[in-house]
Amino acid sequence: MRDTARYAELFRTESRELLAEMDGALLALERAPVRAHVTTLFRGMHTIKGMAAAMGYDPVERVANALESRCEPLRAGEEPLNAAVISLLFDGTDVLRQCIEAVESGATEITAHVHRMIERLAVSLDGQAPAAPVVSEVPVAASLLGLPLPAAPDAASPDEREVAVRLTADCPLKGVRAMLVLAKLQRLGSIGTVTPPQPSWQDDGFEGAFTVTITSSTSEAQLEAAARSAGDVARVAVSAVLASGQRRLSAAVTRTVRIDARRLDALLELAGELVITRDRLLRTVEGPDYAVDSALVRVAHDTARLVRALQDEVLQARMLPVAQVFDRFPRLVRDIARELGKNVEFLTEGREIELDRSLLEAIGDPIMHLLRNALDHGFEDAATRRQTGKPVMGQLILRAVRDRASVVIQVQDDGRGIDRAAVLRKAHEHGLVTPTVHELTDAHLLEVVSHPGLSTTREVTSISGRGVGVDVVNTRVRALGGVIELETIAGEGTVFTMRLPVTLAIARALLVQVGDETYAIPAVHVIEAVDFDAHAQRLVGERRGITVRDEFVPLVPLSMRFREGRRRSLGEESLEPFFGEYVAIVESSGRRAALLVDALVAQQDIVVKPFDSVRGAAPWFSGATVLGDGSPALIVDVSSVV
Amino acid sequence: MSRTVLICDDAIFMRTMVGDILQQAGFEIVGEAETGVQAVEKYKHLRPDLVTMDIVMPDMGGIDAVREITAHDPAARILMCSAMGQQALVVEAIQAGAKDFVVKPFQPSRVLEAVNRVLAA
Repeated sequence: MRDTARYAELFRTESRELLAEMDGALLALERAPVRAHVTTLFRGMHTIKGMAAAMGYDPVERVANALESRCEPLRAGEEPLNAAVISLLFDGTDVLRQCIEAVESGATEITAHVHRMIERLAVSLDGQAPAAPVVSEVPVAASLLGLPLPAAPDAASPDEREVAVRLTADCPLKGVRAMLVLAKLQRLGSIGTVTPPQPSWQDDGFEGAFTVTITSSTSEAQLEAAARSAGDVARVAVSAVLASGQRRLSAAVTRTVRIDARRLDALLELAGELVITRDRLLRTVEGPDYAVDSALVRVAHDTARLVRALQDEVLQARMLPVAQVFDRFPRLVRDIARELGKNVEFLTEGREIELDRSLLEAIGDPIMHLLRNALDHGFEDAATRRQTGKPVMGQLILRAVRDRASVVIQVQDDGRGIDRAAVLRKAHEHGLVTPTVHELTDAHLLEVVSHPGLSTTREVTSISGRGVGVDVVNTRVRALGGVIELETIAGEGTVFTMRLPVTLAIARALLVQVGDETYAIPAVHVIEAVDFDAHAQRLVGERRGITVRDEFVPLVPLSMRFREGRRRSLGEESLEPFFGEYVAIVESSGRRAALLVDALVAQQDIVVKPFDSVRGAAPWFSGATVLGDGSPALIVDVSSVV
Repeated sequence: MSRTVLICDDAIFMRTMVGDILQQAGFEIVGEAETGVQAVEKYKHLRPDLVTMDIVMPDMGGIDAVREITAHDPAARILMCSAMGQQALVVEAIQAGAKDFVVKPFQPSRVLEAVNRVLAA
């Protein structure tokens, strides 16, 4: 209830301020027909409409809507401003003010008086529409001054326009959002070509940028507003499609400048701090201790919105194509292959895929390790290849692929594959798996080969084989918030897959409490959080778990996990029942787990500070962050706990 | 007179969370449904201004519920609540007549933006 009252208060103050601005704009328009005033007027009406809709203030919403519709042709420059229209808008604004004041006294009925105004606005709009020629590019001022309107070259036939849309970087399900944008545009005209084609929108690689051509008589502003109304739209650029097929040169032409990388880092660091401060500000003004000062709350929310936009732009500015790193390797691969006397063709794919520059710099070494491993252990010598009927020339592929919010980097060879039996023998020797384990899955295999100090090569070569390669890669990738996967088939080859976040710096996280500490679980891994019913847990095989949506999900008691210094042997689990208040259902590499926690704290953006890749340190965590109140929190490495 | 909402989700937590977000924004939660069948029945009975609809529910899923509700009332305003990785299902729901969607885990500001878009359209 307190909140409803707070919003009502916000609505009243804000709409009063907007009404004052609108009055100012109308008065200014009476004196001089400057288009900016029409925009102010329109924005005020639109904002009031939106707020009233959210609050359920019907009369306010309907009058504001009628006013907004009446203003649309003025704003779009399709109708000249004259004294009669301005007078009508004055009257309409007065009625709007009355409706807003009436809200305070609890009146929510549409009176006859209000109804008449809505009708007047509608009738005036209908009477105007067919009379005025549709010319979108003529400024209001020109027509008001009585200058002749330039003849529109094809006023009768609607223009073909190109609408380029980019969705926000954090927009979820970009393919579906793009569909909604297209549906909004479709209402205004007929759609021509769509690039990239619509079916590909549902692909994982779709990044939310697309262009459609539309034949429509509506203004550019209307097209843009329609596209934006679908939500999560970062940019819209509307331009004319010229008959010659040439694109009109516009401000949208990309221009680039060089910038010192340290500047970019400093910018990101500041944006990150700003995000933390924003969260603290919002919590303060929304907190129970705060005496409501609605103007301040509104400024706080505006600031929060701007910070998000700024963060988007800074992150965008830091993206670089992986080619910058990939292009280092052809020469290195050639040299190493020659040294080893191996005949290998090296290919790179997906060089244009973009990644945050800090990640890009950090993945160079892991890629190098994997390439060396492949060259050293992966490929058979020429004679062996010939005997097994393989082409003598081996193939080594370095590939980048965009997959939803991650970038996947693969190193693939068509060599002999990893010898599972040899690795299992080694694992038994080192006591890394329980003696009952007789077969290694790909996941187990990865765990064993990334164990520090384990190597299956008999001799240590100068290139790799020191048993640190995969270990270093694994630690580094995890520190970056990524995961590594391994797939190998005897005689056919091996693929190492690194799955990395696209940007490193700022991520959404679910904050949970375990014991006295707060931990952050990256939101990309969180499916849902639910109450934990201790009686619902059951034992399946050796694992305790609960049923979530008809699926058995193993329970992971975080408090116990965090107390253990390192991972226990494979295939061994606690038989004692678990306790906790809530579970967070998480997923990583197709595996789900229910993490038991004591409390759900909040969801918020966190600035990720990855751990240095010190081996053996803090196995369950990928990094740390600082919360809004200044206290530190560890970031849970979901891939290591599930 | 605030706008009325019917919340459809089989998880109490999710219903509570969505309910809190919307209530704080001044909406009135007039009903909750745990299954698709309940959602359709309650919609006919309550005629809310807005429906939030989970996709996976027992006893008729959210998408079929959207079909039945829009068949009954083409002007129904339905907001889909989807989990990560349900893109194809969300596409289907939109084609079935849902107006917009939000993705779990929910951020209050995103939920409210989506709700206001649905109500303003």
